Amino acid sequence: MKFVKRAVAGAMAACLAVALAACSGSDSASGPVHLVFRQFDPESEVGGLKTAIDAWNQSHPDIQVELQTLSPNNVQQFAREANSGSGPDIDQIAFTDVSFVANPKVLAPLDEFLKKDPLPGNGTKDLLATDMVTFDGKTWAMPWTADTMALVYNPKAFQAAGIASPPTTWEQLAADAKQINATSGGKTAGFCFPGSGSATSSGWFAINYYLWSHGGTLVRKDSSGNWQAGATQEQLASAIQFFADLFASGASPKANQAVADYSDPTIVNGVVNGTCAMTYEPPSTFKTMEKQASTAGATVTTAPMPSGLTDGATHLGGRALAINRNSEHQDEAWQVIKYLMSADTFKTYGQYPASTATLTQLSVPQSQQGYVQQLPHARSFARYIGSEMTVGSIQQLLNQHVSAVYSGQSSAQDAAKAILDGLAKGLKG
Amino acid sequence: MATRSANRRALALTTPALLVIAVLFVFPSVYNVVLAFQKLTPYDAPGDAEWVGWDNFKSIFTDPEIGSAALNTVFWLTLVTVVIRLVLGIGLALLLQSPVLQRWRLRGVARTMVLVPWMVPPVVAVACWKWIFDANTGVLNQFLVGLHIVPAGVPFLAQTSTVWWSVAAIIVWRELPFVVIVMMAGLQSIPKEQYEAAALDSAGRWQSFRHVTLPGLRPVIIVVVLMTVIQTFNNFVYVWLSTGGGPGTYTQVLATQLYSAAFVANDLGEGAAIGIVMTAVMAIFALIYMRVTSEKEARA
Repeated sequence: MKFVKRAVAGAMAACLAVALAACSGSDSASGPVHLVFRQFDPESEVGGLKTAIDAWNQSHPDIQVELQTLSPNNVQQFAREANSGSGPDIDQIAFTDVSFVANPKVLAPLDEFLKKDPLPGNGTKDLLATDMVTFDGKTWAMPWTADTMALVYNPKAFQAAGIASPPTTWEQLAADAKQINATSGGKTAGFCFPGSGSATSSGWFAINYYLWSHGGTLVRKDSSGNWQAGATQEQLASAIQFFADLFASGASPKANQAVADYSDPTIVNGVVNGTCAMTYEPPSTFKTMEKQASTAGATVTTAPMPSGLTDGATHLGGRALAINRNSEHQDEAWQVIKYLMSADTFKTYGQYPASTATLTQLSVPQSQQGYVQQLPHARSFARYIGSEMTVGSIQQLLNQHVSAVYSGQSSAQDAAKAILDGLAKGLKG
Repeated sequence: MATRSANRRALALTTPALLVIAVLFVFPSVYNVVLAFQKLTPYDAPGDAEWVGWDNFKSIFTDPEIGSAALNTVFWLTLVTVVIRLVLGIGLALLLQSPVLQRWRLRGVARTMVLVPWMVPPVVAVACWKWIFDANTGVLNQFLVGLHIVPAGVPFLAQTSTVWWSVAAIIVWRELPFVVIVMMAGLQSIPKEQYEAAALDSAGRWQSFRHVTLPGLRPVIIVVVLMTVIQTFNNFVYVWLSTGGGPGTYTQVLATQLYSAAFVANDLGEGAAIGIVMTAVMAIFALIYMRVTSEKEARA
């Protein structure tokens, strides 16, 4: 009996210790406010952000911010934490993920803060992609950084093929890519892009861009609010065939059919060392490529994507900042968000701000002008959000069937039909 | 009185273990069954779930991809890789037991080298193999092109003729050491007298392998097959990281279907339902397998 009593007492002591340990992280009432800001970019890309946070911490001894990196992006982890009453005070969320957590059980709506303590200048009117952060009439996050895919190319490869300027249409891109490949005797691939069938393969951007610039879209909401496929079988088949032909002609290397990511070394190194003439990249990857090229004595530069200066022919991506509904210091978190959105932060942080007012205050190098020219014409993936299918599911469906065409398992027509069938089934719910 | 005290003591001692089992095994299993009848996203709190009856199971069985994913899981992912591992595992175990290696004092080095793949985390192993298989810069392709065996690099993970063999190679490389170690333990448990008796009966190497080694390894083989089949059937990492289920859906397996349903389409209920189907298949396999092998054992 004594043994049982001792065991029970021991267990209770252990529980008490665990409970006390759990409480030990909370702030004392008198000290500075401690905020945790979680972001998901790799450590190598956030040096400038750390500098900005250090500057904030020095000038605001009463509100100290701890930068937490949880890379790669894992919004599901944040949702789990928020749903269980914990998590960081401020979370960086990809635009396409905001809709998943636009829920009062996860995020604090920001409308009250915007009213009480508005943004400088024209306020939210200066912000891009507000359609990605506003749901059910409430603002759940602040668009923070903006990006898109620009055409990244090696000018020497173009010169060697006698091509004076980068392509402005997809048809011209195909012709240039074939010419580069032929002129170099197959040593330089004209256009490198990820062609893997994996769920997250970024080959999906190119196919969407092609579709959008040719009057189609994968899904759309009709006037009565119902979701349906936004392209005909012919339009889809033509887009798929376009990219399949690039592989078939040798203008794109078949090795890229196993590549899922735009930042894969096969593509990045290829463009830098000239075995690939062009690809598409977001700004962060381009900046890495540019450094790599500079070390190797090579040059890479950007231009708008084909039809990239047409409104809505490219996507506007980026990250937003949101406040965890569990944060005990939401007012202070809002102040930090305003600072993170200001030009002061972007002086050291190597991303483009999602505020046009802040963007105009920054000087962008000539090599990155492709992004600057294209961004005002890019449109967010809000066009795909709200149906029964997640953007991820639409992406997976497209990638799988397109990859089946690249690998010779089906024809472009069959793949287009399978995609339309998959969309019809998925959109029905 | 003493018996009651002993019972209480036994209860107190076993309670922590029972609690751990309940929290780590029973609760998740029961919750998974509950989830299979609900609609819930990874972004919702469990309390937000909606009951949907058998809808998740209906959705699985009307999915046109499920048949090929099941076939890929059973044949390519499990059968092919388990058979290769078994054959190579027995072969390598015999090699490592050979007196020649002992004479040259290489047995320790050889055993350590065989263990190396097992020490590599699966994610790292897949990343390395993807690089080896790369059509442009991969070591394997550079070797093949350099020796003029192929005119240009082969995208092993992107074409249907090579992709499953490539995935199987990754799995076999990473998981073979387990089979080798267990087989070596099995070989050491076979009494030397049996080999001596076989030699006296003029049995050659093949006959002594067939009539002494294989029957001696039988109990070990039974356990290894059961464990590797269950572990491989449920495996997600190798296929997802190496091919993502592609090209097209050519390497899609049940575990990747589960992941796609739960975390790409955000339907945890359908993912849980696929998990239950997979568990049921493995449970039936294990029951039949154990019955057949124990019957054979009894007859022997």
